Amino acid sequence: MEKMSRVTTALGSSAISGRTMFCHLDAPANAISVCRDATQVVVAGRNIFKIYGLEEEQFVEKLNLRVGRKPSLNFSCADVMWHQMEENLLATAATNGAVVTWNLGKPSRNKQDQLFTEHKRTVNKVCFHPTEVYMLLSGSQDGYMKCFDLRKKESVSTFSGQSESVRDVQFSMKDYFTFAASFENGNVQLWDIRRPDRYERMFTAHTGPVFCCDWHPDDRGWLATGGRDKMVKVWDMTTNRAKEIYCVQTIASVARVKWRPERKWHLATCSMMVDHNIYVWDIRRPFIPFATFEEHKDVTTGIVWRHQHDPYFLLSGSKDSTLYQHMFKDASRPVDRANPEGLCFGLFGDLAFAAKESLISGDANRKPYPGGDRRYPIFFFKKPDLTEQFAHVSSALSVFESSLESKRMDWFVKTARLYLLSGKSFAELCDHNAKVAKELNRPQVSTTWTMLRIMFSDPANLSTPGPNHIGKLGTLPLMNSFSMKEMGMGTESRLDRSKGESRQDNIHLELGNSLINNICPTAENEETEGSEGQAEYMFGDAELDDDDLYSMEHDNQAAEEQEYTLPQEAFPLRHEIMDNPLAPEHLQQDKADSPQASGNEAEVMCLTPIESFSLISISQPLFSPHLPAPFFCPVVREMLSHYAEQGDVQMAVSVLIVLGDRIRKEIDDLTQEHWYMSYIDLLQRFELWNVSNEVIKLSTCSAITCLNQTSTTLHVNCSNCKRPMSNRGWICDRCHQCASVCAVCHHVVKGLFVWCQGCSHGGHLEHVKNWLKSSSHCPAGCGHLCEYT
Amino acid sequence: MFVARSIAADHKDLIHDVSYDFHGRRMATCSSDQSVKVWDKSESGEWHCTASWKTHSGSVWRVTWAHPEFGQVLASCSFDRTAAVWEEIVGESNDKQRGQSHWIKRTTLVDSRTSVTDVKFAPKHMGLMLTTCSADGVVRVYEAPDVMNLSQWSLQHEISCKLSCSCISWNPSSSRAHPPMIAVGSDDSNVMYGGKVQIYEYNDNTRKYAKAETLMTVTDAVHDIAFSPNLGRSFHVLAIATKDVRIFKLVPLRKESSSTGPTKFEVQIVAQFDNHNSQVWRVSWNITSTLLASSGDDGCVRLWKANYMDNWKCTGILKGDGSPVNGSSGQPGAMNTMVGSAVQTSQNALNALTPPPSLGLTDTAALTPPPPPPPPSLGLTDTAALTPPPPPPPSLGLTDTAALTPPPSLGLTDTVCCAHAKSLACGKAQQARPST
Repeated sequence: MEKMSRVTTALGSSAISGRTMFCHLDAPANAISVCRDATQVVVAGRNIFKIYGLEEEQFVEKLNLRVGRKPSLNFSCADVMWHQMEENLLATAATNGAVVTWNLGKPSRNKQDQLFTEHKRTVNKVCFHPTEVYMLLSGSQDGYMKCFDLRKKESVSTFSGQSESVRDVQFSMKDYFTFAASFENGNVQLWDIRRPDRYERMFTAHTGPVFCCDWHPDDRGWLATGGRDKMVKVWDMTTNRAKEIYCVQTIASVARVKWRPERKWHLATCSMMVDHNIYVWDIRRPFIPFATFEEHKDVTTGIVWRHQHDPYFLLSGSKDSTLYQHMFKDASRPVDRANPEGLCFGLFGDLAFAAKESLISGDANRKPYPGGDRRYPIFFFKKPDLTEQFAHVSSALSVFESSLESKRMDWFVKTARLYLLSGKSFAELCDHNAKVAKELNRPQVSTTWTMLRIMFSDPANLSTPGPNHIGKLGTLPLMNSFSMKEMGMGTESRLDRSKGESRQDNIHLELGNSLINNICPTAENEETEGSEGQAEYMFGDAELDDDDLYSMEHDNQAAEEQEYTLPQEAFPLRHEIMDNPLAPEHLQQDKADSPQASGNEAEVMCLTPIESFSLISISQPLFSPHLPAPFFCPVVREMLSHYAEQGDVQMAVSVLIVLGDRIRKEIDDLTQEHWYMSYIDLLQRFELWNVSNEVIKLSTCSAITCLNQTSTTLHVNCSNCKRPMSNRGWICDRCHQCASVCAVCHHVVKGLFVWCQGCSHGGHLEHVKNWLKSSSHCPAGCGHLCEYT
Repeated sequence: MFVARSIAADHKDLIHDVSYDFHGRRMATCSSDQSVKVWDKSESGEWHCTASWKTHSGSVWRVTWAHPEFGQVLASCSFDRTAAVWEEIVGESNDKQRGQSHWIKRTTLVDSRTSVTDVKFAPKHMGLMLTTCSADGVVRVYEAPDVMNLSQWSLQHEISCKLSCSCISWNPSSSRAHPPMIAVGSDDSNVMYGGKVQIYEYNDNTRKYAKAETLMTVTDAVHDIAFSPNLGRSFHVLAIATKDVRIFKLVPLRKESSSTGPTKFEVQIVAQFDNHNSQVWRVSWNITSTLLASSGDDGCVRLWKANYMDNWKCTGILKGDGSPVNGSSGQPGAMNTMVGSAVQTSQNALNALTPPPSLGLTDTAALTPPPPPPPPSLGLTDTAALTPPPPPPPSLGLTDTAALTPPPSLGLTDTVCCAHAKSLACGKAQQARPST
């Protein structure tokens, strides 16, 4: 019979339509309730008691039950309930302790029917029996629950909870005689309506008040309770002991809880403080709300599903004086916005990745909804709604570690460790660093170092006499052998190809020799002949330019003019060189001689010192390089910037330090400081403290060097008498003992002294290390459990 | 290339964030199950969970480490509208023996009225500062005036972004030329609301954060945003996870000394990839900011790398189980349509991974289709490899010279063209010569 009626009502519910809508109330609502056919809703509050019709597009005020010039406190409602069997019957719980019933069928304006004033304090809750027309239950702040027969003038039975205030009473759906009551002390009691003397069962459901409870509508004996401890718990009441089967943690105290119709696992909650939203939870996934309604601007006080078999409409009243109808399809789904993935790059190039398992396995959205309610006749089992799927999910966490050596940051660490930044001559440093880079398979960096050495080595030699010059070059063999080996090998094939050409050039050269004084013919010869890979490698093309130049100068200038403009473009740096105020004098002279060729000239010049230098190292120098080191500064500056922009701040800083004054003035302090800071930060990330310290020490930026000058005070206590030591030596003034004695070997510690900051005993690093392997107590015997961090 | 090490995280719901600490030896994860777990890497490279505790009463969206100078400190933020700061306590010898460490809550930041969606510590040079952003569009900057006292935080700034915020990123630059800067992303899905990435900059004169830029071209919901490690650059690079992966470059324009307004930027979009074919959730930079990783709804992690010309390319795709994606492995349906390109890209990835890892130029070698004959081994490898097929003899030296100049950042194509032009010209020269 009951099943039948349910089916019919459910069928009727399919007619329910509408949209998310709201209306303004005159006053804050405390509770709402709908009539059985879901066409009207009653809103009750301290200053409001109205019935609204639920229409397609809007709420329409039907009736104001709050009548009279000066309404009595009986109209001030804490709770309201519309009878689910009797359309005209309403009950309210008044804040003055009265329980009032209202008969809408009354012809008079005042619909008040019965008035029970038996409770001494506010009545928190009224509840009609779901199937019995005349049975009404109330729960009050005074700790009593009363059962009324509406045909009688007073209560038929009174139930004393023997504990604190009653917050909620609910008749069971399953059991005709049973009701549940929740209390402010955290207890939930089960009563038999026929036995007012004592409760059937009591259990502590929450810490702090239990504000609400709700029986599962599908007569399963499940009871949901919500409390101030921000939790919603679902209890299985069919067993002997109430068993907590689900627990949902919300973010605020739970004021109301209502099971969602037709959805076994869903329930809606709202809070009485802080949080204004209404959440619908899937209890199987207790951490993320399944859906959220975020419309209210103040605390939501009442929630009710519009129809007991329609899961898509929710009504709510709020302290913000609005009444809302929420459409489920308009709800926001927090899980959709929740990030299903986490990703982070580690320091060593490893990658931590956490992702929803279904995303990884690639079968997202294919799992059928396990909780489909199949107990109802097929005609109202709707097609599984994709948006209603909310299976339990978890994430898989994995760390991708690069197996390739190269992908790790080893190169950075090794480079930082092995680079020499000071302590040797410039050329040696460059060579060393070039070698380090080479060994780490970073040819470009290696070359850069080599070139820096070539560019900046011994600019002073320009004026120094020959022997000294050569003596200075004594450092070069290292580099020579290195570069010869490296360069010669690779260029050999090309050499062969270019040889013919070179020879031809040589003839030209020979011709021009006598005329051109400032270029060393022998050197040119040697070079172009390709006997030295290095020279060939670097200057083959420049040579050709030279030739062009010569021929132009001495032959048909006009005819070849076009030719010179093109080659110039091959050198992106021409502009810098041209603009450089430090361009050597002879170059300017040349310019004057042949203005058209100036571009070419510049190229030649910029290369000359290098070439001749490398030549010098090979053969005996017949002339000294012309260009002072500053000539290259713009190039180097640009190179450093380039490295920095590419993310290799290590190179930028290392070169900056090694070059020192040669380049420092070229780069503004702010940039330098920025580079230093970035590099130091990186070094510290890799825990390369020593290197970082060296960099700080070698830097010339005041902002950087001062990093080392903070927190340099060390307060030392005597390990014997535990008093602060004066700063004179290691003999304690007070106990006249040497304070820096190793607790293990009892000798004075010279060098690294390590001590426990707890008991101030310590000693040789090695000794203490060994000691701690066997014991964690202090070696001095003071009983302290030493900690070395 | 990559070996996947699977970790049994044992979180009871989705993991929303993973975060490495400063030194890369610890990892924190946070989940909807309201807990945070801390993982430590053992000597053997295994990850062990050393702490797991309930942090919030809602989903924990993000977890982040403070600079170790301030201690072992974590911050977390949650759906429960709070952010919390946690500190590891040393000296609990009982816990230590069990390999567990103890974390205690130092403070709860309760200013937000809605879900706190991201939390980030400011770069260390700014002191101990923490930023949160929340779903109601407010970015809050907190500061611990006393770094030794983690329980006192004062709310320094409240920036209203108007749009629901989903992520924030600090510009890590420590240069004095770069004022503190925060980028904020919004996950508001309404395209009509305009740019979803806003950039705020601290103004020393007004002592407030002011909007410096809105990236108007990003109109879809943004889920993650990350400034790349600065490392001495003069400009800033910003990666954005929205419906695709985007990389922006912000070049500060030279400021007139008199002007006190926010810095003007030249905003360039450097790359835009829709290879995920779906929502992109996360982006993360490696430490040298040469690699960008992104992850999307396709369940893959994609790695992006720029070549010498700032052309970004996919250099790798990682599946959750670490296997490289290719045509044969079972792919989600969405991928099938683009198997071809996937294969190609993974091939690309292979190429790009083989050369040594020196920064910058090396990779260009990988870009030339057939591996060129072993180029002269002196470091100019890359440039050499770029020149058109066997360089004509006259131009031989040219490539080398090009390499002598600072590593060619922009002008490389030019150089190549020039090499060509040059060879032509030289040819001419040779023709002309006999006439002399």
